[in-house]
Amino acid sequence: MNATATQQAEPILSARGIVNRFGKQRVHDKIDLDVRAGEILGIAGGSGSGKSVLLKTLIGLHRPDSGKVLIAGNPVESIDAREKAALIGVLFQQGALFSSLSVAQNVMLPMREYTDLPLAEQEKIAAVKIELAGFPADSAAKFPAQLSGGMVKRAALARALALDPKILFLDEPTSDLDPLTASGIDELIVQLNRGLGITVLIVTHDLTTLLTVCDRVALLVDGKITVGAVDKLARSHDPWIHDFLHGPRAQAAMNARKSSHGTR
Amino acid sequence: MPGASVKSSEPALTIEGEGDRRSLDGVLDLRTLNQARPALQSWRKQRKSHVLDISKLRGLDTPGALFLCELRDRHVELAGVQPEHKALLELIGGLQRNVPARPPVVPRWRELVIRIGKGADDFWRDSVDIITFVGRIVSALGHALAHPSSLRVASISRQISEAGISALPIVGLMAVMISIVIGYQSAAQLRRLGGEEFTINLVAVSVIREMGVLITAIMLAGRSGSAFTAEIGVMKAREEIDALHSMGLQPIDLLVLPRVIGLVIALPLLTFFADMMGLLGGAMISHSLLHVSLPQYLERVRSSVEIKDLFVGLVKAPVFAFFIATVGCMHGLRVRGSAESVGRETTRAVVKAIFLVIVFDALFSVWFETLGL
Repeated sequence: MNATATQQAEPILSARGIVNRFGKQRVHDKIDLDVRAGEILGIAGGSGSGKSVLLKTLIGLHRPDSGKVLIAGNPVESIDAREKAALIGVLFQQGALFSSLSVAQNVMLPMREYTDLPLAEQEKIAAVKIELAGFPADSAAKFPAQLSGGMVKRAALARALALDPKILFLDEPTSDLDPLTASGIDELIVQLNRGLGITVLIVTHDLTTLLTVCDRVALLVDGKITVGAVDKLARSHDPWIHDFLHGPRAQAAMNARKSSHGTR
Repeated sequence: MPGASVKSSEPALTIEGEGDRRSLDGVLDLRTLNQARPALQSWRKQRKSHVLDISKLRGLDTPGALFLCELRDRHVELAGVQPEHKALLELIGGLQRNVPARPPVVPRWRELVIRIGKGADDFWRDSVDIITFVGRIVSALGHALAHPSSLRVASISRQISEAGISALPIVGLMAVMISIVIGYQSAAQLRRLGGEEFTINLVAVSVIREMGVLITAIMLAGRSGSAFTAEIGVMKAREEIDALHSMGLQPIDLLVLPRVIGLVIALPLLTFFADMMGLLGGAMISHSLLHVSLPQYLERVRSSVEIKDLFVGLVKAPVFAFFIATVGCMHGLRVRGSAESVGRETTRAVVKAIFLVIVFDALFSVWFETLGL
């Protein structure tokens, strides 16, 4: 999907005036966020800035103290389960694979529940998702406890793709992974976005992911959110944003961005 | 799929055309696939050459694309492919699409043989494990008794409070209930023989010799034995046990001994409490069923129960406690990796602890019989 199309597309997800409080602390202070169809949006912020809570609010797992979330024009809490399953796919931070099911069964579970396709057909479709997620087909009969960290993320990604969601939510997709595996996941995210046209929303600490993969970045600072392309955010006068995008780690990521955007 | 809007209604797909040519109109996705597949496959088998026009296709998802790729592999020509569908078809067509082999089906008789063999092997390993673990605890206990200052008094007293004091209400209630049950049953039977007043003897002796300690031990196996497995198991799963080892500390000394000692102290005390509550239950039933007054009841209890009966009941308690705590801790330390295994080990620990309690109770019965107690 090219840049102009991204600009024109209307938001597939929009949040208005989200407020979340924990005790007296206001984690989110009237946050507005639009996610455009077909883009990759990164959400970042310091530890404890409420990134995961925001993600849970957007997918309707957490009810905000005030504000509303619309997915494809409908309030998230009023979308029925079947439709929601086809609309959003979520990769949880620890994978959240069902430990009593094999990887293939994990991927087939939503299909088994929501369609009446024959088993052989479900297996074929699951094999495609597993391959799309870059998970080795011969390991699909393994159980989650037998997988390494990177494999867990790929298996969980395959399950998130099971019903061809329009929006993919990724919670820390590259955390706890070695740099090579992490950049493999980064590439995969871009491939899925370009190939299947899925809108992707990433919550991450990983500067490389933010700067090389994401079309736009949303930074959560002091309960407020600042959204924009990285180049624009880098010129921000907010001290936290400035430090975040100009620290030593950010510089290395910026270099990676230059080289990756050059080749794209 | 770009620009696809989300529809709330069920998508529709119609198949039109005749002869070698068919055209798809609508949405081909997970929901319409089941309807399209049989029609198109029978069409494919009837004809020699096929053209499928998909120019009117409005939506296509990966299962739909997979189906179209399979048709294309079987020499169905796809016509009028739109650019946004082309990318998806190329992506799916470019995959290997190997369906992983299902695990081979083992015949039932072999499965049975395998299960019996595994069961026997597990039983052997379990027995060896318990014996080894008991040995380790006894050695640690011996060391601790030789150096009493190394005993963790705070930790032991916390275990006594958790396993003992907080179990008082439930253990007391159970003891009262059990003696009411025994009282009713024996009164009904003894009435026929005309020896209704022997109900008191039966309740008092059975509660003090057997039921008090057995009920308390089974209660603690379910309450504290499972808690030991879960607590230590979660520590094991979170690498806290490894952290202890890395600091040169022994989980046996830090975690297992306080629990074992705590339970060995708590269970006899609880048993005594259960005995007293059982007698209270006996008094209640004598009053309401046999119309025996409290002084008469106490006199009757004193004449029927000897001090050795109390001893027979109480002496079993520390042994039961030792095995409940040992099995609980051992299964906690056997947890591997996942949270799932915490649940499995907890179940095993409770089942095994209750089993051992009853086995030892039977052994004690035989032993006391030969001793003439």
